[in-house]
Amino acid sequence: MEKKLTKEEVLHVAELARIAVTDEEIKKYQVELKKLLDDVEKINEVEGYDDEILIAPWSNHTDLREDAEGEMLEPKQVLENAPRHSGNYIQVPVVIGESEGA
Amino acid sequence: MSNYIATIGVEVHVELKTKTKIFSNSKNGYGQMANSLTNVIDLGYPGTLPTLNEEVLNLAIKAATVLNCKIRPEIHFDRKNYFYPDNPKNYQITQFATPIGYDGYVEIEVDGEKKKVYIEEMHIEEDTCKSTHRGVKTLLDFNRAGVPLIEIVTKPCMTNSKEAKAYLEKLKELLFYSDISDCKMEEGSMRADANVSIRKKESDPFGTKAEIKNIGSISNVGVSIEKEIERQAKIYDKGETFKPQTRRYDDKLGDTVLMRVKETGNDYRYFPEPDIPFVIVTDERIKNVKKTIPMLPDERREKYLSLGVSEINTTKLIQNRNLSDYFNHLLEEKISHQTASNLLLGDISAYLNKTEKDITDTTLSKERFIELVNLVSNSTLTSKNLKEILEIILESKDSIQSIMKSQGIENITDDKEIREVIQKIISENPESVEDYKNGHDRAIKYLMGQVMKETKGKANPKMANDILKEELQ
Repeated sequence: MEKKLTKEEVLHVAELARIAVTDEEIKKYQVELKKLLDDVEKINEVEGYDDEILIAPWSNHTDLREDAEGEMLEPKQVLENAPRHSGNYIQVPVVIGESEGA
Repeated sequence: MSNYIATIGVEVHVELKTKTKIFSNSKNGYGQMANSLTNVIDLGYPGTLPTLNEEVLNLAIKAATVLNCKIRPEIHFDRKNYFYPDNPKNYQITQFATPIGYDGYVEIEVDGEKKKVYIEEMHIEEDTCKSTHRGVKTLLDFNRAGVPLIEIVTKPCMTNSKEAKAYLEKLKELLFYSDISDCKMEEGSMRADANVSIRKKESDPFGTKAEIKNIGSISNVGVSIEKEIERQAKIYDKGETFKPQTRRYDDKLGDTVLMRVKETGNDYRYFPEPDIPFVIVTDERIKNVKKTIPMLPDERREKYLSLGVSEINTTKLIQNRNLSDYFNHLLEEKISHQTASNLLLGDISAYLNKTEKDITDTTLSKERFIELVNLVSNSTLTSKNLKEILEIILESKDSIQSIMKSQGIENITDDKEIREVIQKIISENPESVEDYKNGHDRAIKYLMGQVMKETKGKANPKMANDILKEELQ
């Protein structure tokens, strides 16, 4: 088994996390991330782990909510915690590309 | 282009018509002041917990049913992780491992041939906030964050743009008619992505896939698929290849443009959403939801045609949901359904368009409409006279016959009275009678004209016509 991740693997993870890393940090994470992954790998050694999807350590089911409107925030309150806004919109630096979700 | 076989799959996002959002009780609305429909859950504040809206589950079951999907009895949600300002939690709550619906199909018709478009899966998820790019800044409106969506994914089973368009039309019709969604592509309540790849022969492996995102109309889906097939063919013709990628359709260019080389599924690091325990979809719930599904377009079409409504009127009625619903109340009545459809689609539609009203805003009760249809069917009320009094008919509650009377529209329906006039006309016009007997059809029109003139247009035209023919024998 490899002792560390490749530089490309670290850069890929950094890109997904949208963080910049220095060469020194890359070297550090090549080892540290690998160690973390190896620890997580140990879960696979537990017998029967794959039998069912575990969501939470309890077995109760979801309570459904009635489709009825509740209180909402005023736009002013929404904007209070935003560093910048433009009219009622929250403003962020332009992001190239489209939504990843949905 | 014809040297290649295209393989097309379509993914559609549809916003569900609920009162509130999927995981919070803030309002699900469109076109309102930015950031006025949110609460701390939609904004992803730390410590908040999502609770699933029961109506979302019901509408998803309904959608799965009309799309002929199997329904999973136990489902859960997953987190799709990514960093982007449209989602402050840094993950979208969606379904990855246990989509509520799977293995369904929709029947389409292209160039007179029926075909099934197979649905791979259908899942529930939350919408993200709407971001608008303005020069160096991006503006965020969280009104859309948390709006419930279903995503419907077909198998790669279509081979041309016509099939993809027919599928989308059909999907829209089904979801709209079942009150699942408004399906307004222009407002984004229905959004389509198309996956396109091409290969030389059926036996070749699938070609490299390009995904065209967020296409704004059904006709643009058609254009963008055709353009994409062309683009890929040109690359392969040169002996080159390309990487899997995401593209978007640019309306102004009339072509697809590259957005990014695609990240793989693993990059989203899906894992089960720990804040929402398993959801049990009981048989009883499915049964109750099924009861709320109204008569769907295909069934309506079959029913209307069987009642003698013309092909064109049938299509037009189904395109207008409100008129079709109104018409459905008359299916069991012994009336001329073709006349009824003519009235609804003709003069009545013209009035509704002019006044921007809905048929249910008028005073035309079922009973009065039946009276109207019968009066028109037996020509007691001519189309010319109808036009004169239509507004009164649709705005008052009086019987149609009393309106005709008060508006001075008389109609001689007395057999004896009409016959006397006709006998007089026949005796005064021996030449025309001779012409008729010699097979000149125009002569009868002349004689009818004389009858109407004599009665000042008050003779019931159908009766007059019948009696005239009788007397000419």
